[in-house]
Amino acid sequence: MNSKLNLNKLKKFLSYFILVFFALINLYPIFWMVMNSFKTEQQISINSFSLPSSLMLSNYFKAWHAVSLGRSFLNSFIVSGLAVIITVALGSLAAYFISRFEFTGKKIIYSLFIFGLLVPIHGTLVPIFIMMRKLGLVNTRLSLILPYVAFNLPLTIFILSSFMKSLPRAVEEAAIVDGAGYLRIFWSIILPMTRPALATVSILNFVYNWNEFSFALVLINDQKLMTLPLSLSLFSGQFSTDYGMQMAGLSMALVPIIAIYLLMEDQLVKGMSAGAVKG
Amino acid sequence: MDHIYKHRKKLIYFGILPALLLYLAFVIIPILISARYSLVEWNGFSAPKFVGLNNYADLFKNSIFWRSLKNNLIVVFASVLGQVPIGFLLALLVNQKIKGQHFFRTIIFMPVVISAVIISLVWSMVFNYNFGLLNNLLKFVGLGSFIQNWLSNPDIAMFSVAAVIIWQFVGLYFIIFLAALQTVPNDVLEAAEIDGAQGWKRTLYITLPLVKDTILAAIVLCISGSLKTFALIYVMTNGGPSHATEVMAIHMYDNSFNAMKFGYGSAVSIFIVIFGIVLVTIVRQLFARFED
Repeated sequence: MNSKLNLNKLKKFLSYFILVFFALINLYPIFWMVMNSFKTEQQISINSFSLPSSLMLSNYFKAWHAVSLGRSFLNSFIVSGLAVIITVALGSLAAYFISRFEFTGKKIIYSLFIFGLLVPIHGTLVPIFIMMRKLGLVNTRLSLILPYVAFNLPLTIFILSSFMKSLPRAVEEAAIVDGAGYLRIFWSIILPMTRPALATVSILNFVYNWNEFSFALVLINDQKLMTLPLSLSLFSGQFSTDYGMQMAGLSMALVPIIAIYLLMEDQLVKGMSAGAVKG
Repeated sequence: MDHIYKHRKKLIYFGILPALLLYLAFVIIPILISARYSLVEWNGFSAPKFVGLNNYADLFKNSIFWRSLKNNLIVVFASVLGQVPIGFLLALLVNQKIKGQHFFRTIIFMPVVISAVIISLVWSMVFNYNFGLLNNLLKFVGLGSFIQNWLSNPDIAMFSVAAVIIWQFVGLYFIIFLAALQTVPNDVLEAAEIDGAQGWKRTLYITLPLVKDTILAAIVLCISGSLKTFALIYVMTNGGPSHATEVMAIHMYDNSFNAMKFGYGSAVSIFIVIFGIVLVTIVRQLFARFED
């Protein structure tokens, strides 16, 4: 009995040891960077382990101006936000008809959308660039919003239609008897009931758009329109030696995404694993 | 109720149409156009010239392409052999009755939601030769002889990059496995325990077979995800030093948008798509055979 107890204790200890080890691997590099963002270049090179002696903010001011962080935040927010609104509006309407009605071609349309989960975006970069050039949309926010919406529709429709399928039909049928039209049913019955899934897809799409890099790299080169990842990537080029400033810029860039993550963790985790397994 | 539904078919199509049109225009049609571009020689400005399969012939003759394919395979293997087992182990550990379950889940998943650009810049500094965290840590624990130029030594740069890819995505597999483990009913595990299956034996003979489908899904995801690797490498090394970390997506980007060889670049894109389908099919076949 005693030896079994000890074995259990050892197991527990080992479990915690491994988990704490991995937690440190995930947290320490970021902690280390934030610490060093308050130091001068010289302090960093002498000892990058030490805590900063004071909260020196000059790196933060420099970084904010060097890559126009304020404007980049705003650009990312506008592009991501608009794309989310359009995706969820179009996606929920499509999901409603796909999940609640029978019609010819339904299976084909649904499979076509699901196929989109497998399409790698790099296979479409060249054609979309050429398309946008022909339309005169290169270096506009619209050139990002259109592909963001299109690439997020499959996952949005997948999550929303599976959720809508599980909703009971009773209320809806009563509404039809009362003479309500489909769009009215969609708006005042289905959408309110779908709220949890709508929250999941909205936050998921927002994070994907917020982090997107490839389309932004190809379609935007006007500094005024650059989204956050694109602006930050300038750090690896023209400012690659000013490390204190880089660390300050990255620390600021981390704040919104970490905040969103901590506030909406459950929705994000659920949405990402659902999309991942299906894709 | 059906007759009322059938009545307004037009409305149904009308409701699906906006989503469908956008999706066709910016996902499906571009893939088809890409296939067509792969058969022409074109710099994006002059008239495209039809060259048949020449771009593909050039591709297979190009040693840099082969190098990028090899690097991509390193990413695939590192991901499948790194992310999947580590993710599974962490999921097993967190799925026990332990304190701080939620805390560990939050921390392990966190890198997944951070943009690849931020992660590559952070890790570039961790790998920095002079002040970087890694070299400093090695010096600190007395392993100074292992100090390296992690990203500019062509012999190891690819492995440094692969390590960061594993670091970012372990959390995704962890979450997928954790969700699967939580569906394994407790009474099955208890019954196994009474029958004498405990500890790792229980994991091997009871838990593992029950989450087999999830493991397959994770490996498939890992392969398709690895073939998409782009931003992380683009920012960290841009494929260098001298193509040592170039993967296929970088090769595609470089040839299309720097060398303006849109035909050749499109051939690389199409190759990536086909290669992904082939790899995934092989893995599925292996699993099916394993089953018998």
